[in-house]
Amino acid sequence: MMLTRSFRHILLAIIVFIWVVPFVALVTTSLRSETASKTSGFWTAFTPTELGHRFGTHDKGGTEEFLVMTGNIFERLNQDKDSYQITGDIKSILFKGRVPDPENEGKTILEKRLVFAGEVMDVRGGDFVFQTNGDFTWTFPEATAPRPKNLDVFLDQDPIFGADAFIEVLFDNKNVPNALISSFIVTIPATIIPITIAAFAAYAFAWMSFPGRDWLFVIVVSLMVVPTQLAFLPVLQGFSGIASWATELNAWMTDCEDTGTCRVASKTFASLWVTHTAFGLPLAIYLLRNYIVGLPKELLESARIDGANHLQIFVKLIVPLSVPALASFSIFQFLWVWNDLIVALYIGPADAADLVFPIRLQKQLGTFKDQLHLLNASAVISMIVPVIVFLSMQRYFIRGLLAGSVKGG
Amino acid sequence: MSLKTKLVGAAVLATTTALAGGAMADGHGDVCKTPSTLGELGKFEGEVITIMGSMEGKDEEMLTNTVSCFEAATGAVVKYSGSRDFAALIVADLRSNNAPNIAIFPQPGLAGDMAKEGHLVPLGQESADWMAENYGAGSSWAALGTYADANGKEDFYGFAFKKDLKSLVWYSPEQFEDNGYEIPTTMEGLIALSDQMVADGNTPWCIGVESGNATGWTATDWMEDLMLRTTSPENYDKWVSNELAFNSPEVINAMEVYGSFSRNDDYVAGGASSVATTFFGDAPKGLFSSPASCMMHRQASFIPAFFPKKGEEVANGEADFFYFPPYESANLGNPVLGAGTLWTMTKDSPATRAFFEFMKEPAAHEAWMQQGTFLTAHKGASLDAYATPALAKQGQILTSATTFRFDASDLMPGAIGAGAFWSEMTAFANGQDAKTTADNIQAAWDAIK
Repeated sequence: MMLTRSFRHILLAIIVFIWVVPFVALVTTSLRSETASKTSGFWTAFTPTELGHRFGTHDKGGTEEFLVMTGNIFERLNQDKDSYQITGDIKSILFKGRVPDPENEGKTILEKRLVFAGEVMDVRGGDFVFQTNGDFTWTFPEATAPRPKNLDVFLDQDPIFGADAFIEVLFDNKNVPNALISSFIVTIPATIIPITIAAFAAYAFAWMSFPGRDWLFVIVVSLMVVPTQLAFLPVLQGFSGIASWATELNAWMTDCEDTGTCRVASKTFASLWVTHTAFGLPLAIYLLRNYIVGLPKELLESARIDGANHLQIFVKLIVPLSVPALASFSIFQFLWVWNDLIVALYIGPADAADLVFPIRLQKQLGTFKDQLHLLNASAVISMIVPVIVFLSMQRYFIRGLLAGSVKGG
Repeated sequence: MSLKTKLVGAAVLATTTALAGGAMADGHGDVCKTPSTLGELGKFEGEVITIMGSMEGKDEEMLTNTVSCFEAATGAVVKYSGSRDFAALIVADLRSNNAPNIAIFPQPGLAGDMAKEGHLVPLGQESADWMAENYGAGSSWAALGTYADANGKEDFYGFAFKKDLKSLVWYSPEQFEDNGYEIPTTMEGLIALSDQMVADGNTPWCIGVESGNATGWTATDWMEDLMLRTTSPENYDKWVSNELAFNSPEVINAMEVYGSFSRNDDYVAGGASSVATTFFGDAPKGLFSSPASCMMHRQASFIPAFFPKKGEEVANGEADFFYFPPYESANLGNPVLGAGTLWTMTKDSPATRAFFEFMKEPAAHEAWMQQGTFLTAHKGASLDAYATPALAKQGQILTSATTFRFDASDLMPGAIGAGAFWSEMTAFANGQDAKTTADNIQAAWDAIK
């Protein structure tokens, strides 16, 4: 017994670990600087890490002549940065230069070596020496105005975190806030509409007898297997037909022709509501019907004897008793619509301000594949909403998962 | 509340969010101050023109800015939506009568397919004539936008507007200086330089062909550049139309030459096996890493946008480019490979027609030239408008070319140029041999004939 239990615990720990690692990785990466997250893995973020950087000895275009130049490598590295200031210990500088080849007269070979703190290195004819804390001196035999030199420096970099990516994503432009609003505009009706229709339908399938009921139910359930992708073209054609009809009606009813604004868009938020409703309904009806059919028959019969009609039974009895099933389906539908990319891409509005979150994320991937930190921050933001929804409704969810599986349960 | 809002309730919500996010193109008013003045285009107050394309990010920003000049002049409202999935979305939209007014095709192959299905509106012979007259190498540009409809009748559909120069090798002048390397002027020299870099313990090339569902296109560019350097331009044209079979010796030879670069573990940063999985936009970052993971990167004129500082490197001298040189021994002159986006009318309207007139104006080209990476073939556009000397230098490479050819994969039918050619070149990067690769592409081509 003990063995199986600890085995179970280990298995559980492994599963939790597998699920948590990507989340931790995402959050950690979103808090790191762009360069740090691109050059090293997230697990190195918590301890000093050896990283390479490039710094220029001084700014371009100076004509002042000098014998000794002093400076600090960290100051040079951080000069254009407001945040994510680099700190740590300088380890070495990569020296490169061509030197005469000892084996071949008249030829040169490339010399590459690491120069450590305190060692003298020849840079543009001057002696360059640096210390671990970043201070460097550059001494010339006679006063010169050397061109700046960029050097590869390796350092043990201290961990740096910052919320810059989040601030940039949320406040620099309105893309992500707009996407959040759009996603809510799409998701909330696309959850409420199907659940409302499905609850009525489920009640009818469970407790009202009409001819062909079972066949109709089988048809509805079998619609679950229709893949969304299959329906894009016909659905789009349908919306385009409705839109052109609305455009004509608009032209007939209003004076829009004078201003050239008759056109009614076919890809709108409403198109998304309809599409998500249609594709969510079969599962919703199936799930709710199986739950409602399991409610105690005596309850409904006594209600009917008391003179309640179908609507009263539905509102006063069925709905309160079905809260777990309704809530668990809402979570399903909410998460599915919130995370949906492909339906929104094909059927949703294409204006920049109306894009839903997954499309915005995808655009950041396309546009900023070099700015992964922004993508990471946006991804964390997009995750917050489902997490809140899930946590606040999870007690229903667990009960609801059993919906319809245990009769009378 | 009018009936319309009741009918299409979503429109209200759409407008509210549009208000919340109406931050478009402010502070870019000077973009429209161009050397040439914009001609009369007519007034289309409040009329909406929708444009769909694949440009995103910086390109999208520049496009919106350029288009704002048209909006200011005519009062029309232009709505652009860009998506990396353009190729899939536009097909669905066109086939379901949801066409935007203008579709910007990055590949003529797909535009040709759509013309054949009858989804494109012809722009008229006078536009084709205008292009032949006013663009450098104009008749070839006009031919690029000419497709057959369902009945086989040829018409001019695609208006080439934004040009890319492909035959460029990017490098870091500082690295070349530190290592004592000289810019090669011949392919023989380039190969010798690559070998010297290997001998010095450096890695000469960064190559990456990963690009989501367009993976492989970088490799096709290499192939095309090498075709132009190993065989005659006439053979190149025959290759494009498949008169010269894909598995003929000339093509296989070019592929082998490409393989001698990309499948050489010593030549490629991360080894040959990393080519297929490296994102094309990440590949050039190796030039600027500490320490540099490679010395050279062959890529088109747009690539600085993917450099770590988004192209600032070119302005401040950290990055430069040289012309991907031809073989001295082959005697084929200075061939140049390029491409361009094609703007097609997918839904007719007077304002849309005015927009195509707008694109004929030198001022429209200059407005974009001023903003950054944009090359034009318009002879009337002032060269002073180019944003940087580097772009002007690219313009010069274009004009000094003895042979100019369009990107072959863009010209081939969509199923090849945006299909088998890409995927098979990726398989080639993963180790499939040249003969099999060429045979497979030819088989795919035979299948669509």
